[in-house]
Amino acid sequence: MSAALFTVWLKELKDALRDKRSLMAAMSYAFFGPMLMAVAFFAVVKEATSESDVKVHIQGQEYAPELVSFLQQKGIVATAKEEADSGIELTIPRDYQSLLASGKMVSIVLRADYSERKNSSSRQRVSSALREYNQTIASARLTLRGISPEVMYAVVTEKQDTATKESRAAVIMGTVMVFVLMAVFFSGMNVAIDTSAGERERNSLEFLLAQPVRVFDLVAGKALAASTFAVLGSLLTLAMIPMVFLFVPLEKLGIDITFSLGQQLVLVLVLVPLALLASGLQLFVSFMAKSFKEAQTYISFVMFAPMTIVFVLEFSRFTHWVLDYLPVTSQHQVLLGSINGEPVGLFPIVVGALSTLVLAWLLLIAVQLRLRSEKAVFGL
Amino acid sequence: MINVQDLMKTYNDVKALNGLSFQAHDGEITGLLGPNGAGKTTCLRSLYGLIQPDSGSVEVDGLTPKTQALDVRRRIGIFPDKFGLHERLTPREHIRYIAQLHGLKGEVLDTQVERVIAELNMADIVDRRTQGFSQGQRMKVALAQAIVHQPKNLILDEPSRGLDVMSTRILRELMFGLREQGRCILFSSHVMQEVAALCDRVVIMVKGQVVANDTPAALCEQTGEASFEDAFVQLIGTDEGIMA
Repeated sequence: MSAALFTVWLKELKDALRDKRSLMAAMSYAFFGPMLMAVAFFAVVKEATSESDVKVHIQGQEYAPELVSFLQQKGIVATAKEEADSGIELTIPRDYQSLLASGKMVSIVLRADYSERKNSSSRQRVSSALREYNQTIASARLTLRGISPEVMYAVVTEKQDTATKESRAAVIMGTVMVFVLMAVFFSGMNVAIDTSAGERERNSLEFLLAQPVRVFDLVAGKALAASTFAVLGSLLTLAMIPMVFLFVPLEKLGIDITFSLGQQLVLVLVLVPLALLASGLQLFVSFMAKSFKEAQTYISFVMFAPMTIVFVLEFSRFTHWVLDYLPVTSQHQVLLGSINGEPVGLFPIVVGALSTLVLAWLLLIAVQLRLRSEKAVFGL
Repeated sequence: MINVQDLMKTYNDVKALNGLSFQAHDGEITGLLGPNGAGKTTCLRSLYGLIQPDSGSVEVDGLTPKTQALDVRRRIGIFPDKFGLHERLTPREHIRYIAQLHGLKGEVLDTQVERVIAELNMADIVDRRTQGFSQGQRMKVALAQAIVHQPKNLILDEPSRGLDVMSTRILRELMFGLREQGRCILFSSHVMQEVAALCDRVVIMVKGQVVANDTPAALCEQTGEASFEDAFVQLIGTDEGIMA
């Protein structure tokens, strides 16, 4: 690395660190991303784990007190008609006890709006509770007649959940990892704009270009400064994830998120080439702009591209071997692999890093060429 | 020593430079005087290689910016047309940055930075961030950046614009001091009094061409006018775009 490049890097870093706007942008992104996810998960966990009572109206409950108390044990509570928010109404016939005693069939009416999706799980709970009650009584009757209740069970299904803790976590963490990738693209954005379009706006670009420094060193120094921010931002996001999830009772969903320090460091290393690519792209775009604001507008358009790729891959779960080697997707695969228990091999990681670096380098060359053009520099 | 020969530069049908030729010698202050739009800034930019002329040649100490841009830039100090400062950095950081880009390091770097701070009498502002600096203070920072590496040639583009009397004096004394050291100073201006007071040699340019090139006194003699201003007006044929 040449001395000039290092000088530019340090100077831009110093300048950016004093810029509260850049600092806030970088840090807040890393901070609020995982935070937002945590809030979302909090809601999901609560929804999935807490089973509230189902309130039903039972007509003729005085005829079948045992049934009512059985239902109550199953979390199905009898209330007045107005309070039955599940919209379910059970009707127990007047001759319930006598039919039961004589071993005849009792018909219980389950009345509800079956087209209503919201209460479908409540309806299922009520009917399965009734089925269970039916089986209990039927078994008792068979036993009384000297027949094993097993004759009623010809085929039985036995549920075996193959979802491990890790794989269930992977689904959730996959979404979180999208935030890590986004942190790479957004944390360094302000710095990139400030060192390029900002430099032009404050009229210091011409003087800088007239110094005895290779243009590539200038551009690379600026890109390094922006990527330093990008890496710091993603590091912060990665560090925030386990911390934020301490407060979310994920274990209720059977999810276990553990991230060793070593694992985090490896991930950050994988993100370094991506940070360079992001900064290169941002410099390329914002050197075209004449002012900070103009650059911001352009960049927000351009940043859509890599983000769209990541989102589409994340939600469509599309896989192809090439993705392991391409810029952006390669890093995405590594991040995903680190959490779903299928780590990406060293070879794809290295090739992915190299392809990303090559693309970043090409972008920097393009920026350099632009800055050699007097038209681009002086806006002639 | 700066040597410009037959420089041509066209931007979209506008001839910014149209066969410009002049020399600026070591130990002299050369003033490039001309109305707005005469091509002064274009000429200076081609000296440090940010603009490639269509034809003609530029030499700084015998080096051409076209092929040896970095070597040329090491030999010149630039006070540019527009000098923006980084609001969040102090003058000392500005000066060190440029000095480092010129390859200064270690002890040399420290002594040169201190020297230039003392020379421009800017110790009182050197560790304050430049946000909110006055025009004069900004000029000092820009000048310090231009001379911190002790260039053999100094190029100033309209250095006195927007300066108060005290700042102009500092600038003038600095230029005289550098002339004593045998450096080559080339500055552009459209202010005549300044050129008349400072320059050993005046290059008057109009529409990208040199119309006169001599000492101020010789130019007066040549035109038969008593004042330099009248001589100038006669030479360029109009007084448009010139400040007295």
